[in-house]
Amino acid sequence: MRLPTDLRKIWAFAVRNALVNRRNVFAIFEMLFWPGVAIFSVGLLTRFLKLDPETVTFILIGAVTMNTIQIAQLDLSYALLYSVWAKSLRHEFIAPIRLSHILAGSGLVGLARGLLVFVIMGLFSMWFFQMDLSRPGWGGLLIFIAGMFLNAAIVGAVVLALVLRFGQRAEVAAWAFSYLMLLLCGLYYPVEVLPPGARELAQIIPLTYFLEYFRHFYGFPAYSAHPLLYGFSQSVIYLLASYALLWYTLKSAYQRGTLLRLSE
Amino acid sequence: MPAIVAQGICKSFRDRPFGPRKQVLHDVDLEVEHGAIFGILGPNAAGKTTFISILATLLHPDKGRARVLGLDAVKEANRLRERINLAATGAHFLWCLTVEENLRFYGRLYGLGGRSLRARVAELIELFDLAEHRRVTFERLSTGLKQRLALAKALINTPELLFLDEPTTGLDPDMAQLIREEILRLNRETGLTILLTTHNLREAEMLCGEVGFLKQGRLLARGRIPELQRRLGLGDHLTIVFRDGLPALDYARLPGVLAHRLQPDRVELRVDRAEERLAAILEAVAHTRQAVAQVRVKEVDLTEIYHEITH
Repeated sequence: MRLPTDLRKIWAFAVRNALVNRRNVFAIFEMLFWPGVAIFSVGLLTRFLKLDPETVTFILIGAVTMNTIQIAQLDLSYALLYSVWAKSLRHEFIAPIRLSHILAGSGLVGLARGLLVFVIMGLFSMWFFQMDLSRPGWGGLLIFIAGMFLNAAIVGAVVLALVLRFGQRAEVAAWAFSYLMLLLCGLYYPVEVLPPGARELAQIIPLTYFLEYFRHFYGFPAYSAHPLLYGFSQSVIYLLASYALLWYTLKSAYQRGTLLRLSE
Repeated sequence: MPAIVAQGICKSFRDRPFGPRKQVLHDVDLEVEHGAIFGILGPNAAGKTTFISILATLLHPDKGRARVLGLDAVKEANRLRERINLAATGAHFLWCLTVEENLRFYGRLYGLGGRSLRARVAELIELFDLAEHRRVTFERLSTGLKQRLALAKALINTPELLFLDEPTTGLDPDMAQLIREEILRLNRETGLTILLTTHNLREAEMLCGEVGFLKQGRLLARGRIPELQRRLGLGDHLTIVFRDGLPALDYARLPGVLAHRLQPDRVELRVDRAEERLAAILEAVAHTRQAVAQVRVKEVDLTEIYHEITH
């Protein structure tokens, strides 16, 4: 690995994604409008239902998590979708790049946008709905943020693989896949309320453990003995598996001519 | 060693999952020398883009081996990609990036950065006369400007071998001519090897030292245009118009005549290397004492060769 050259290739994707976001009015909507709508609609609903402050916090953590992950994973998913929409895929892949350059470059922008959404939604929750974000301390907060971004990276890598395999049709998957995961991981409710079967599925989603870990600072018991151990170990396994899937899909794209078909 | 050595390249695709495989390339062999401009000609769906994509590392062959610049196009693809580039028909780049930003993006993908990237981008913008449009987004460029940007992008890494997939399709004649002149200039001044696909035969005639004809995935013939002409027995056209009607002469036995057609006032001859035989033919005609009104010589062109081979 030649570090300066590799960093430039990573930077290429980061700059490209940042420029597209800057010039795309929908990107501003994704980062400000929808998270704002989400936090206010959920927050006002809890006020209407006259919920106690702990339950309000429980639900608001779910709203913040969902929007942060959605935004962070979108940049990864868009890494190839931009090229598919522009029909420029073959120009990117004729250059001496590796998947890691695409993932790291786009991931950097996803990280920055996700952090921004997290901060904005956190501040709204604190100002308008009295959520106390300082209770877990910096350590707890950083671990939870890391957990969210790991999950976003897994979803993003899987969506990238789907885009490489199915092209633009996989666009819907960019949204649907993460919503499905969020439904199962106990975003707005403890996983215990899930029906049998779904509850077992929740156990194999790392975000379930990160949410449990973060919420235990607010007095909600963690149901697993070592949520961080499960959360991080599952995340690492899924990350490696999704990278392998992506690598295999790219290899098969060279065989099937997908790169050419998506550039026409 | 030649710049490109392709041996027994085969490729097939499925139209739909689990559907039958359609053979697109059959045992294609090709060698291209360093510094040459080689044209791959053929009708639509002949397999031109598939073949060029295999050589450009974008597609893996089912069978056969491709060595480009001494490197295996599959096993050493990433090393090879540093030394090649591609411009294709209907330039497509990210719509919301400007000319300059697009070039910078691709420059970074080749590991350029800092001063060297800035200098290379500025040089290409100057070379392709894009200075006025450097801050215009891709979606707002005209077709000609988009194609110029595509060529500029294809040179961002100073490649040793350039793949051009129908580089002038969709351009107006002036712009197409400009692009062709640029391709010729690059080849002459930098010794860049170019492999281009086209179905514009005039373009191939103007640019290519050597051509290959691909039809239904098979390379039917290849060579220099005069060489193909000789091999196919396609002579030049020589027309002799007489003032007072056609004289009696055994035209078939004139030097180099491959075929002839008689008209009331003229004879149309197909002559192998007409330029070399013209004097001898005119001398034979002079012996008939019939006055000659006009002599026309037209070299065989690529269109005729193309039709001869592909039909």
